[in-house]
Amino acid sequence: MDNGKRTKVIVSMIGLDGHTVGGEVVAGILRDAGMEVVFLGIYQTPEMIVQTAIQEDVDAIAISSHASNYNQIEELINLLRENNMGDIPVLCGGTIPKQQIPRLKAKGVAEVVTPGNTSEVIVNCVISKVKSTVGRES
Amino acid sequence: MKRETDYGQPIKAVYTPKDIEDLDYEKDLGDPGSYPYTRGYYRDGYRSRIWTQRMTAGLGSSTDTNKVLKKYREMGQRGGICVICDRAAAMPIDSDHPIGRKEAGILGWPGSSLLEFEELMDGIPLTGHSITLLGSSACSALRLAYLVVLAEKRGVNLQEVHGSITEYPFANYFGQTDGQPLEINLKLLLDAVEYIIRNKIRMRTGVLSQHFQESGGNNAQALAVEMAMLDELCGLLVNERGLDFDDVALFPYELVSVGTRFFEEIAKIRALRRMWAKLAKEKFNAKTEKACHLLVAVHTSGRTMTYQQPLNNIVRCAIQTLAGAIAGCTAIDNACFDNAHAEPSPLAARMSLNTQHIVADETGVTDVVDPLAGSYFVEYLTSRVEEEAYKIWSGIEALGGMSAALKAGYIQNMLKESMQKRHREMESEERLIVGVNERVIPPEEDFEIPIQEVQEHDSENIARRMEEWKQTRNVSLIRETLSRLHSDAKKGSRYNLMPSIVEAVRSYATAGEIMGVIRQAYGLSYDPLNMIECPFELD
Repeated sequence: MDNGKRTKVIVSMIGLDGHTVGGEVVAGILRDAGMEVVFLGIYQTPEMIVQTAIQEDVDAIAISSHASNYNQIEELINLLRENNMGDIPVLCGGTIPKQQIPRLKAKGVAEVVTPGNTSEVIVNCVISKVKSTVGRES
Repeated sequence: MKRETDYGQPIKAVYTPKDIEDLDYEKDLGDPGSYPYTRGYYRDGYRSRIWTQRMTAGLGSSTDTNKVLKKYREMGQRGGICVICDRAAAMPIDSDHPIGRKEAGILGWPGSSLLEFEELMDGIPLTGHSITLLGSSACSALRLAYLVVLAEKRGVNLQEVHGSITEYPFANYFGQTDGQPLEINLKLLLDAVEYIIRNKIRMRTGVLSQHFQESGGNNAQALAVEMAMLDELCGLLVNERGLDFDDVALFPYELVSVGTRFFEEIAKIRALRRMWAKLAKEKFNAKTEKACHLLVAVHTSGRTMTYQQPLNNIVRCAIQTLAGAIAGCTAIDNACFDNAHAEPSPLAARMSLNTQHIVADETGVTDVVDPLAGSYFVEYLTSRVEEEAYKIWSGIEALGGMSAALKAGYIQNMLKESMQKRHREMESEERLIVGVNERVIPPEEDFEIPIQEVQEHDSENIARRMEEWKQTRNVSLIRETLSRLHSDAKKGSRYNLMPSIVEAVRSYATAGEIMGVIRQAYGLSYDPLNMIECPFELD
C-alpha cells in the first residue's frame, strides 16, 4: 500500500439486483477519498466480477446488496479462492438484515456495512480491510 | 438544521396573504370537483369513495403469495390487491434460468407464466376490487395477457376488471431495472395500452414518479419528470396510435412517493393535479372532465425507512399516510417499518394496514375535502413547487422530451446530483434523521424485529417446479404460437403484438420464452443475460 499505488476497489451490484443508489453513493465517497473505483453497475455475475478483478488488479471488492442474493456473494468468494485471489477482501453494504451479518462473515465476507454509516466509517473500513490482508501476506 | 424545501427553496418563519397575493381562487384552485382540480376531483371527497387501503404482496412461491393476499384481506385490506413480481419475472427471464433460479421468489412473486398467475389468483375474484401488478415495464404486455386469458377461462367480462398491471417504460433508469432496451419496452407498452383502450378495458398503466423519487429525486424534479413522461406517452398514443385523447387520458395512474416533508408532500400532490389538468386541457384539448383527472395513488416512502431503530418507521409511515390522505388520493400502500431490512413480515404488514385504518377511521381526515386549502403556507408551497417543476420540465422539453433527455443522460445526472446532495446533507447534519444522525443508540440496544426471509432452497424449489412443469406442456403448440409471435414482431413497431402474445400465453409459453423471441425478432440475443439459447426451432 505504500508503493505509491492508489487503492483500487470494485463497486458492483450482483445478480439481478437493480438498486444502484447505495452503490453509486459509496463509489463517490471512495473516489472523494482518493481511491480508484471500478464501478460495474447491474447484472454482474460472480464470474464477471472475478474477471474484472483479475484484469484491473484490484485491492478490494465492494458489493452493494438489496435483499437476499447472498448465495451469489458466497459464490463470488469461492470463485476468488479458486483463482488464488482469496486475499482480496470482499465487503458488503446495503439493506442486509442483522442476523445475516454473521452468516456472511462466516462465508468469508470481510465486513458488512449497514445503511446510515458516515463516509468516514465506509472509507476506514475499506482501508483497514485492504491493509489487514496486505499484512497477512507479508 | 436546514430551513428550506427539499428542492432548495428557503422557508420563512411566517406566511401571510402577501405570499399568495397572485392566487386566484377560481382560476388556480376551484372547488373540489372543478377545474383545475387542485382541490381534488370529487365534491364529497372520501365521503363518496374512501381510498383503497392496500399492502404490496409478493414473496416466495405464487401459492405463498396467494396466502398472503388472503391474509391481507383478513387484516383489513380494502378496495384492491397489489402484487409485485420477483426479479427474474421483472427481467423477464424464467425461474429455471441459471440466474433466475438463484433469485426466484426474492422481492416478489415469480410471475413468469400463466400457471403462476392462476396460482396467485386462486380463490381471488378478478372483479369487485382493483387488481394491481407491479414489477417492471418489460413484462407489462405479458401480465395483460395473463389477465385476458384468465378472465376468459373464468367467464369474466374483461370490461368489468379494473386496476393496473402495465407500467411505464422508463423505470430502468430509476432503479427498477429489467433486462430490456427502452425501444422494446416502449413499443410493447404502447401495444398493451392500445389494446386496453380499443377493447374498453378499465385498466390503467402506472406512469410513476415513485421510482425516480425513491432513487433520490426531489419533489420538484419528481413532478417535472412525471409530467414529461405523461406528455410524451400521451403524445405517442394520440399521434402514432391514432387514439382519441379523451380515451388516452384514462390510461395512466401516478404513484407518488410521499416522504416526511409533510407540507411539501401535500403541496406536490395538489400541484400535480393542477399541472395534469392544464396539460390535458391546454395542450391536448381534452373535451371531457374525466380526461382532466389524473388518478393519483400514494406510496409512503421506502427511502425514509431507516435501518436503525426500525420501530421509528411506524411513526414516519403514519405521518406520510396522513399527508397522502390530506392531499387526496385514490389508493395508499405503505412501506413497512422493516423496509430497510427485508420484505414485510406479517407484523409489519398489519402495522401498515392499521396505520391506514387509524388515519382513515380515527382522525377525521375523511370528513372534509382538501382541508389545508387556503393555508398561506400550503398554497405558497403548491405554487412554488409547480413553478420549479415547470422550469425543470422545460429543460427536459428543450432536449426533446423524456426519451431524448434520458438518452442525453440529463435526467440521470440530475438524479445523481440530487442523491449525492441528500447524502451530504445527512452527513453534515443539515437534515436530521432520528436514529441515524441524531439520537443514535448503540447497535446492541436497538429494537429486535421479526425478519421475513426467502431461503436459498425456496428459490431452488420454484426453479425445479418450473423445470418439471415445462416438460409437461404441449411443445408443438408453443412452438406454433412463438413462431407466429416472432414473425409478427418483425412487422414493424406499429404492428400490435398483443393478440399474438395472448395466444402464446394461452399456450403456456413462459415470459422468458415470449420476450426471448421478441428480442430475437429485434436482432438481440434470446437471453438478456446471454446464458441460454432459445429452446424452440421457430418457423
